[in-house]
Amino acid sequence: MALLELQGVTKSFGGLMANYDISFSIEKGELVGLIGPNGAGKTTLFNCISGVFPLSSGKIFFDGEDITRLKAHEVARKGLARTFQVYVASGDMTVLENVMVGCFMHTRSRSKAKSTARQILDDLRIGDLSEALVHELPVASQKRVTMATAIATKPKLLMLDEVAAGLNPGEIEEIMGSIRHLHDDLGMTVILIEHVMELVMKISHRIVVLDYGRKIAEGPPEAVSRDPSVVKAYLGERYAQDSTVDGG
Amino acid sequence: MDILISSIVAGLLIGMALALVALGLTIIFGVMDIVNFAHGEFLMIGMYTGLFTAQSTGMDPLLTLPLAALVGFLLGVLCYAGFVRFLLRGPMVAQLLGTFGLMLLLRNIALLIFGSEDRALHHGILVGKSFDVGMEIILPATKLAAAGLSILAFGAVWLFMKKTRIGKALTATALNRQAASYMGIPAERMNALAWGIGVSSVTIAGALLVNFWSVNPYVGLLFTMIAFAIVALGGFGSVPGALFAGLVVGLITEIPGFWDFLTLAFSAEWMENVPMTSFKYMWVYVAYFVIMVVRPRGLFGWKY
Amino acid sequence: MEVLNSAFDFKDFPRLDLTIAALVAVFLAFFPVLPHSSFAMATVIQFLMFSLYGMGWNTIGGYGGQVDLGKAQYVGIGAYTTAVMLTKWDISFWFSMPVGVCFSVLWSFILGYPLFRLKGHYFAIATIATSLVLKDLFEVWDFVGAARGIEISPIQFPSPDFIRLIFKEDVYYYYLILIFFFIGILYMNWFRKSRLGFQLRAIKDNEEVARSLGINVHWAKIRTYAIATAFVSVVGSFHACYIKNIEPEDTMSLDISILIALMAMLGGAGSLWGPIIGAGILIPLKSYLKEWLGARAGLIGIDLIIYALIIMAISAFEPRGIWGIVQKIRRRRR
Repeated sequence: MALLELQGVTKSFGGLMANYDISFSIEKGELVGLIGPNGAGKTTLFNCISGVFPLSSGKIFFDGEDITRLKAHEVARKGLARTFQVYVASGDMTVLENVMVGCFMHTRSRSKAKSTARQILDDLRIGDLSEALVHELPVASQKRVTMATAIATKPKLLMLDEVAAGLNPGEIEEIMGSIRHLHDDLGMTVILIEHVMELVMKISHRIVVLDYGRKIAEGPPEAVSRDPSVVKAYLGERYAQDSTVDGG
Repeated sequence: MDILISSIVAGLLIGMALALVALGLTIIFGVMDIVNFAHGEFLMIGMYTGLFTAQSTGMDPLLTLPLAALVGFLLGVLCYAGFVRFLLRGPMVAQLLGTFGLMLLLRNIALLIFGSEDRALHHGILVGKSFDVGMEIILPATKLAAAGLSILAFGAVWLFMKKTRIGKALTATALNRQAASYMGIPAERMNALAWGIGVSSVTIAGALLVNFWSVNPYVGLLFTMIAFAIVALGGFGSVPGALFAGLVVGLITEIPGFWDFLTLAFSAEWMENVPMTSFKYMWVYVAYFVIMVVRPRGLFGWKY
Repeated sequence: MEVLNSAFDFKDFPRLDLTIAALVAVFLAFFPVLPHSSFAMATVIQFLMFSLYGMGWNTIGGYGGQVDLGKAQYVGIGAYTTAVMLTKWDISFWFSMPVGVCFSVLWSFILGYPLFRLKGHYFAIATIATSLVLKDLFEVWDFVGAARGIEISPIQFPSPDFIRLIFKEDVYYYYLILIFFFIGILYMNWFRKSRLGFQLRAIKDNEEVARSLGINVHWAKIRTYAIATAFVSVVGSFHACYIKNIEPEDTMSLDISILIALMAMLGGAGSLWGPIIGAGILIPLKSYLKEWLGARAGLIGIDLIIYALIIMAISAFEPRGIWGIVQKIRRRRR
């Protein structure tokens, strides 16, 4: 049984079709990339899955349960965590406190939340930042904090929204390592939206491609990058097989 | 029946003036997303301006309108440049409490200067006169004039926003601040202008209201709340919405009249015992609450 | 057990803060035996009451970031419940106070459900509207004395009376509210470290992110609103016995609501000491300004003018309040 299954997911804003009839499924233990040009509806799809927007039509199953009508916090409690593209943490919370909020999903005890949060931060190798304020950190570290906070809810499925955007090659390498670690060592199922092709092509088992709100291709990275419709959706002829091209 | 019709007429008349009161609030909100708690205090200043100019010069109160408008414009620009500008950088809490502070300041300066007693106008061409339009409906001339002039002022501001270059720039800023500044519209000056026009429209309303409404330093809060209700109903930032909603809220303030009508119609004794006039303005607050919860964008709102 | 440990655990504050806090606590404990005027005594009682109001507001307004400007209605509910039960049925404060809390909390749930569908300005204005509606109702409701209010006559109840909480000397009231004050601090110290406290801070930061972490934002706000309400209602009940003469105008007016929010804002919303610092500055300032300028110099309203200028300066230049400034300096030093 698939961990996550989308059946004809459709979302329209007024007359605008942001997602149209999207179906695919994700097996337990997979690492799936979700790509597509700007405005293809990737983040909207994430919002639909995680219960931020109600669907116009279609159904979503998670772990055998129909989660189509659940609210965002209910979806999260089922074990589906996500990060946000633009993370605005203007407040006065430290990194450790941020991660503790995630831990509090499973415990009432502050000391337990604190020790779990410490563990997660060490695990992602940002333990030394735990007393810093989130909004004072550089982007790369902020992205890791959001990942850590999401992981703290002990999700069955982790949805990452552009965790590598705006990072330099060294930082991308690092975050790629973290994602691999979550998947390989902690056995997490991961779906990631990514513009950085280098990253997504390297680590995904399977890739789903959206364009103008529709799914236009799905398959292993090599096959997808050779798919003519995908090539056309991106930079036309220029994007051949060169997997280092940034598709933004 | 007469009670019903005269309540409706009275409600609509006061509604027109209230629409003008709310106009300023909706313009300021539209342009810069700030809710101004001191709005009613500007109305109070307009009322005192009208009252004292009329009393000291012996002019007819209606002729004090231009002066009230000027005072309002200057006061608005001054408040923006000297204070509100700084609030915009801070969080929303700061804006709420900051304009609340402004309200306290204006109210207590008025208290210090004018004292707490009620003051009313006793002279003027229209004061005390009224028209009998038949069916036992009597229209006080002051209210009629205030309503008519309110509509005129309202129309003038609307035309200004729609037709003149600078008014269009203001509307553009309200619609999309960033895009407008890319087009070379100076945002800072637009903010100041919005405060100037917003405050002057409410001081005009004050100078009109003082013809039949006595003034004291505490008069502002009631009108602030009424203006909030109107703006909520009409939609924050919507000018035509403010007019329509003003009329509706005007009718809401006449609920005691409708109650009397129903009491007579059903000749229900228990209804007579309800002290409805004490609840006169409570319905405005109730209306605000219900509108916000049921339809947060208001009837004509485009900002949310 | 962990709850108590957490409530008494102040270890995350620097030693300097704790030393100052301890000195203030000792001063407050011995204040009545030091030479003082009755005016000073009244002012300190006011300070303790408003600190408690501010602590309550701080849960929803400070940690939760929801600007609630309608807390006065719960002062009213608490005060009126106690006053009515005492004057009509001769019921003890210790029974009527919890009953008042129940009424207040019930009312807060009824209002909170629709209220928290609103955000930002809309929420703040709606809280004002609800409070004014209740005040208008109380002003015509004969059962609670309408606009005249209720007087707890000292002739009817001999003093001292620990059951009904009727005393002639302020010192009894002083120690009672001081105990409430310390309990309030311990509660807040627990609250800020509790799950709900953390969830609220996450909500204040970003509601969407909070939801993605499994937090039921609407419900968390309603619960916290009820906690804030309970605080305010308890002090409202105390207010009734202490002042002995309550009217809608001075228990439920908008000014009280704003003052409550202001205490916390000035001191630093969302911090443990904020409301206390705020009340510690504003209350003495307010009563002495009123005494000196208002009563002696005959300048009515000038105390509130100075007051207004402080509010304006704080909101324009340092919306995080005094505690915010302290924190900023400390961060820079590090």
